[in-house]
Amino acid sequence: MSALRILPSPPLAGTRMAYLLAEDRLGHYPEFREFFRAAFDLDRIGLSAPGYVATEAGAIYALVFIGRSGEAFPAGLEIYAVVPALEPLDDTMVDRDLWQILRWMMDGVGGEWSAAKLDATGRLYKLAAAEQ
Amino acid sequence: MTSAIAVPQLPEAIRARWPYRPRFATVNGWRMHYVDEGDPSGEPIVLLHGNPTWGFLYRDIIPPLVAAGFRVIVPDMIGFGLSEKPVREQAHSLDGHIANLTGLMRQLDLSRINLVCHDWGGPTGLGFALSNLARVRSLVIMSTWAWPTPPAEFHTRIFPWRMMHAPLVGPHLLGRHAALVGRGMYLSVVNREKFRAEAQLGYESMLPDPATRLLTWAWPRWIPLDDKARAYERFTWLEQELRKCTLPALIIWGREDDVFDAATFSARFKTLLPHAEGPLLVTGRHFVQEDSSPEIAAAVLDFIARLPA
Repeated sequence: MSALRILPSPPLAGTRMAYLLAEDRLGHYPEFREFFRAAFDLDRIGLSAPGYVATEAGAIYALVFIGRSGEAFPAGLEIYAVVPALEPLDDTMVDRDLWQILRWMMDGVGGEWSAAKLDATGRLYKLAAAEQ
Repeated sequence: MTSAIAVPQLPEAIRARWPYRPRFATVNGWRMHYVDEGDPSGEPIVLLHGNPTWGFLYRDIIPPLVAAGFRVIVPDMIGFGLSEKPVREQAHSLDGHIANLTGLMRQLDLSRINLVCHDWGGPTGLGFALSNLARVRSLVIMSTWAWPTPPAEFHTRIFPWRMMHAPLVGPHLLGRHAALVGRGMYLSVVNREKFRAEAQLGYESMLPDPATRLLTWAWPRWIPLDDKARAYERFTWLEQELRKCTLPALIIWGREDDVFDAATFSARFKTLLPHAEGPLLVTGRHFVQEDSSPEIAAAVLDFIARLPA
C-alpha cells in the first residue's frame, strides 16, 4: 500500500513550483481521470486550487489539473515539485517520488491496473526507481 | 509562444553514417525534413519510418537504390528525426500525419511512387497511397498494420504495452526516461551489440529531451483498441480501401518480430492484398532494417524490376 498522502493546501511561502511532468490526455484511459476526479473532489473544487500530495519522506508535490473545452474535466494534469525557492532539484529523489506517485495512482485506479504491473514495466525498461 | 523545438544537431559519428543533404519543406505549417538522393529524373522510391525512428533507419538501404538509378526520398515524420517536434499531444493525429506526407509528395510533384513503409509509416503511407492512387506505382509493406481491431493480442495487455503509455506513465517512462528510443529499440533488434555500437546513438540523439519524445508515447495511444478509439474510422477506411487496392505489393517481415509477428500480420496483409508477393522473411525483429538492410534493398530492387511497365 502506498504511503502517499493527499494534503490540504500546504504553506507555500519561500517555495517554488518546479515543473516535472505534463499529461495532455488524462482520459486516454478514462478510469485515470475518474480516479483523480474522485480523489481530489474535483466536481466541487474544479480549477480553484491544485491538489497536493506528500511522500513518505515528506516531499510535497502539486497536481495542477487542466480543463479543455469539449472534454470531460480534468483533461490533463501537470505535476510540480514544491521545493525551497532557490534550491535545485534532487533528480534522484524526484524520480523516486514520481514513481511513488505513479504507484499510488495505479493502486487508486485499480481494476486491471496495479502498482505491481507498473513495477514490472519499470523493471523491463531498467528504471532505477522501479528496481529499488 | 514557441510551439516546437529547434532542429537537433547530428553527432559526428552519425553524420558519417548519414551523409545526405538535409532538405526542408513546410507541410501543414510544420517544418518537415527529408532527403532526396539519386537521379532527379529517376523513378521515385519513398521510404517511410515509424515510431520512434527517423530516416536513419534506411541509411543502408538508400545507397543501393540510388546506385540502381532511382530517386530516393526519405521524409522524417513531423515529431521525429530532423523534422519539427510539436510539444503538445494535440498536434498529432493520424489524419494530420497522412496530410503531412501528402503535402510533401504534392510539393515534390511525385508520381509513379514506389512506397516502402514500416511501423507508423504503414498507416500514414497507406493512407496517402489509398487517397492518391494516381501518384503511386507499388507498395512495400514491413512490420505494420492497417485495420481497426487491435493489431495483436499484445496490444490489449496492460503489461507491458498499455502500461507503457498510460496517463502520466507515458510522459514519465517514454518522455523523462526515453524508454522506447532507448531500451525499447534495443530489445527490438536481433543483433543488439551491432545496434548499440553503430545505430542507437543515431536514434537517441534525435530525441535528446523529454519534450522531444512526445510522439513516442502519443503514437501508441492512436492504436485502436475498440470502436470508440479516435482512429477507428480511419483504420476501417484503410482496411476497406486496401481490400480494393490492385497496386503491386511486396510484403517483407522480420522472422523474429515478436510484436508484429510475421504469421499473424503478413497473413492478414495477404488476405487484404491477395496478389501481393511474399511474405519474404528476413532476419529481424520489429526494426527489421537494422538487421537486414542489404536483403531488403535487394528485394525491393528485384520487385520493382519485375513490375509491368
